[in-house]
Amino acid sequence: MKIQTRSFLIMGLLVLLLVALALLDIRLGSVRITFAEIIHHLRGSEHLSEQQLIILNKFRLPRLATALLAGAALPVCGLQMQTLFRNPLAGPYVLGISSGASFGAALVVLGAGATGIVATWNLAVAAWLGAGMVMLLLLFVSFRIKDVMTILILGIMFSSGLAAVISIMQFFSQAAALKSFVIWSMGSLGNVTGLQLQIMTWAILPLLLLSFLYLKVLNGLMLGEEYAVTMGIRIQRTRIVIFATTSILTGTITAFCGPIGFIGIAVPHMARFLFRQSDHKILLPATMLTGMVVLVLSDIISQMPGTERVLPINAVTSLIGIPVVIWLVIINRKSQSL
Amino acid sequence: MTDMQTNPIIALENLAIGYEKGNALLSGVNLSVGPGEMVALIGRNGTGKSTLLKSMIGLLPMMDGACYMDGAPLHSYDLRKRAQKVSYVSSQVSQLPSISVLELVTLGRMPHTGWMGRLEEQDRSMVTQALEEVQMGSFLNRKLDQLSDGERQRVMIARAFVQNTPLMVLDEPTAFLDIPNKYELIRLLSGFRDGGKSIVYSTHDLETAMMCADKLWVIHRGQILEGAPEDLGISGVFNSLFDTTGITFDEEVRRFKYTESLKGSIELSGEPENALNWTGSALERLGYDVKDGADSRIQVSYSEQGYGWILSHNKHTNSFENIYSLARFLIKEN
Repeated sequence: MKIQTRSFLIMGLLVLLLVALALLDIRLGSVRITFAEIIHHLRGSEHLSEQQLIILNKFRLPRLATALLAGAALPVCGLQMQTLFRNPLAGPYVLGISSGASFGAALVVLGAGATGIVATWNLAVAAWLGAGMVMLLLLFVSFRIKDVMTILILGIMFSSGLAAVISIMQFFSQAAALKSFVIWSMGSLGNVTGLQLQIMTWAILPLLLLSFLYLKVLNGLMLGEEYAVTMGIRIQRTRIVIFATTSILTGTITAFCGPIGFIGIAVPHMARFLFRQSDHKILLPATMLTGMVVLVLSDIISQMPGTERVLPINAVTSLIGIPVVIWLVIINRKSQSL
Repeated sequence: MTDMQTNPIIALENLAIGYEKGNALLSGVNLSVGPGEMVALIGRNGTGKSTLLKSMIGLLPMMDGACYMDGAPLHSYDLRKRAQKVSYVSSQVSQLPSISVLELVTLGRMPHTGWMGRLEEQDRSMVTQALEEVQMGSFLNRKLDQLSDGERQRVMIARAFVQNTPLMVLDEPTAFLDIPNKYELIRLLSGFRDGGKSIVYSTHDLETAMMCADKLWVIHRGQILEGAPEDLGISGVFNSLFDTTGITFDEEVRRFKYTESLKGSIELSGEPENALNWTGSALERLGYDVKDGADSRIQVSYSEQGYGWILSHNKHTNSFENIYSLARFLIKEN
């Protein structure tokens, strides 16, 4: 089969899978809403009770939308980082952006005193500012430093440094505040509604579209920056655009959902394995699609169908991501493209 | 010919290169490459070959001087235009991604495609043609990390070739290659040159460079000399190229010889011819001068029992069944 036909076929199957999982995701929960009712509702007819409508519009659809946005964006960041740093272990968090967000969140939550109760808004803004701070630092550094590996090391150092500061803050904080912060750091797709969801959508969608403008450049970067320059790529500008996109995407998602581990690193590898391609024209949409499928699936698992309990999303994505990466690395090394 | 000299594809004027301010590797470099010329850059490790190549195509900043590409200063080109003038093959082979041969060579079309990198029919046919040219046409879907050194180097060259630039710059393209692959690669580059491209490549292999290059650039004692291989031969630069290391250049056979210290001279006689020649090269390797009328003599013979070597010196006579035992004996004697 021609490789292009194969790619489109797999994409088609993934889209179908995504639709099925999305419907299942909306259906799950303590209040019963059937598939038929969901479909009727989505087509505009009024079949749902007041209560069902509120649950659908205020909780389940926003959570699905959040999962789709984060599921598309984090792996795209991971893919860009892996290509730019030419390192299969790079991901959206290597630049220290999410640590910046955590730092912002920690300041607000742990500083809130005994109650530890903070409005989601304050939390999101603080986390966003934390991420932005790290981003500015990073961009400043990347104007000065030529070697991309040095930037990678600095990013990892930022991360570790901020993590150390956060752990000191945790050590001295009140029990209730500590608990809220720990819960925040476990990630959640369910807290983004209304205006927050709009902001998140407007921050993420344009940047995802922007990443499509950089397909050719990403391909050129595969041979390393030296070759990229001789093929006409403006490396400094490219690097800054990629850092800025990754920072804003990761920062926004972390601010609103908390850290969501592993899909940023694991999903690009899954996409490479599924599509057996290293051309970013296929790989980028493939990564987005795979990421959405994986995160919606993780969301379904995290709700533990049949029980009243909900698992933290960060743990679920990691538990899904880790075996996949191990399997890819050990059993299927040859299919790795990096 | 005068046309060639007035319109070089690249001209370096008073160029200084290096990494630290005030500590140039090479300075006052004046060199040029004409259209359809093949230039081999020769020099010992660490003399600045890679630095010179990278500086002249803008991968490293110049410390001083100017570089003119096709008549215009290098910095007046934007990167895309520059990528349409010169292509480059690095000496770095580590860290190549495991993408397919076809994907890799296709990357060479980047400076000619639109922002999406969409390939026209012409681009595709160029890629397949180049892959045929380097005899990798049946390896399209092979991954880069599954290729031998020779195959990978040919693919890297095909990538540079489809970039379709008047000038190709290659940093040690024949390093790591065995002799047939080395010659194959040089033949390939000569073919590009005959097709009108200018080629600049660095190498440690003076012998092949002298066989095919129109011009040599030889880095020697912080200077860079330019000229046809034969011109440089007449100037005697090869004799002193490795003068600190006991290696000298034998002008007669046009190759380097290792002559640390002469251990003595030996007269060589007998037949057959090829056994004599091989014995001669063994003696040379061991540091003996082959000379008629020397005190020691080696008589080579051949009979049904095989070859035989009889060494007579100091009124002793020893016979050997192969060159190895002869050589061990000579080494012990010394």
